[in-house]
Amino acid sequence: MLDVVIIGAGIAGCTAAVYAARNRMDYLLVSDNFGGQFLESGMILNYPGVIQTDGFKFRSAFEKQLEFNGVQRLIGPHIKKIESIENGFRLIGDRQEFETQTVIIATGSHPRKLNVPGEDSFLNRGVTYCSVCDGPLFADKIIAIIGGGNSALEGIHFTHRIAKKIYLINIEDHFSAHAYLSETIASFENVEVIDKARTFEIFGDDFVQGLRYEREGKQYQLDVHGIIIEIGRTPNTDFLKGFVELDEKKHVVIDCQSRTSVEGVFAAGDCASGLEYQYVIAAGQGCIALLKAARYLSNRRDF
Amino acid sequence: MSNVKVYSTPACPYCRKAKEFLHENNIEFEDINIAADQRTAREIIEKTGRMSVPVIDIDGKYIIGYDEPALKETLHIK
Repeated sequence: MLDVVIIGAGIAGCTAAVYAARNRMDYLLVSDNFGGQFLESGMILNYPGVIQTDGFKFRSAFEKQLEFNGVQRLIGPHIKKIESIENGFRLIGDRQEFETQTVIIATGSHPRKLNVPGEDSFLNRGVTYCSVCDGPLFADKIIAIIGGGNSALEGIHFTHRIAKKIYLINIEDHFSAHAYLSETIASFENVEVIDKARTFEIFGDDFVQGLRYEREGKQYQLDVHGIIIEIGRTPNTDFLKGFVELDEKKHVVIDCQSRTSVEGVFAAGDCASGLEYQYVIAAGQGCIALLKAARYLSNRRDF
Repeated sequence: MSNVKVYSTPACPYCRKAKEFLHENNIEFEDINIAADQRTAREIIEKTGRMSVPVIDIDGKYIIGYDEPALKETLHIK
């Protein structure tokens, strides 16, 4: 039986794995992908010690750090279920099973959907959740970015030189983003902010032609040829239902030591209840989770 | 040998992953940056009916997105 299995290879999981390797634990990093959400980040400007990078360069640096530390990783298996067994847990993947004494859940999150008509049918036909990927396809087009947080404003920074005009459709009357992002938006001449607006429909023919929104009781139509949806994230925790306690937004509930409701199971990063979701917080929580798992194991061995 | 073209945008991580995958498997390809070539961008959007990158053209068959199983199957990589 392994000491610890870390599920997820984003910042939280990779940090935990580096500490596990350096602690000479019997561990495994398991993930269905390598790089997590930061891979989609167009610019990273707030990671300590790193002045400026992007998601792809950051991933390469992480990969080299894992290699340097001899981290054992298994990229491929998707963990579908965790069961309690005697003295530990069984992780059930699509092809393999793993038995371990402790678990660190670091499965991250994925883009939250608007859940409006047209969103699914126009996906990749003008609707996207990745501005750095598909933004350049909107050259000289009129587009809408839906959201009011960091990701939405980063999307504007990335696309305002590409698109002809950008409507920022924000359901709130203020941004919930870093000041350095929100203060520059006003200087972009081709960006128009529509606040207190709730998008309720996306329409088109072969491709997106527009959206409809409601503002102060009235309905409006906006003709756009691209829609970038950046309205937050949903934790990747569906497979944990009934195993650990989740909060109302489906984050794994953790205490300040990254402990979950199940003894021996820890969680870190965007899948965990932390109220703030940042790369550096994910790294810190990944570190705490691993150190607490190691302490839990050594306490258990002492008895 | 297959004729492979990758239609990509510079900052798109999945485009880079796709190109990395082709490099690792010693598959030669033509890399076309459609952010710098709007005419080709429009053509590829019309042909595929999708506004999404990467698009990987393998002997006229289009694979949209970084879809490793589909790449392996089409290029006969084990």
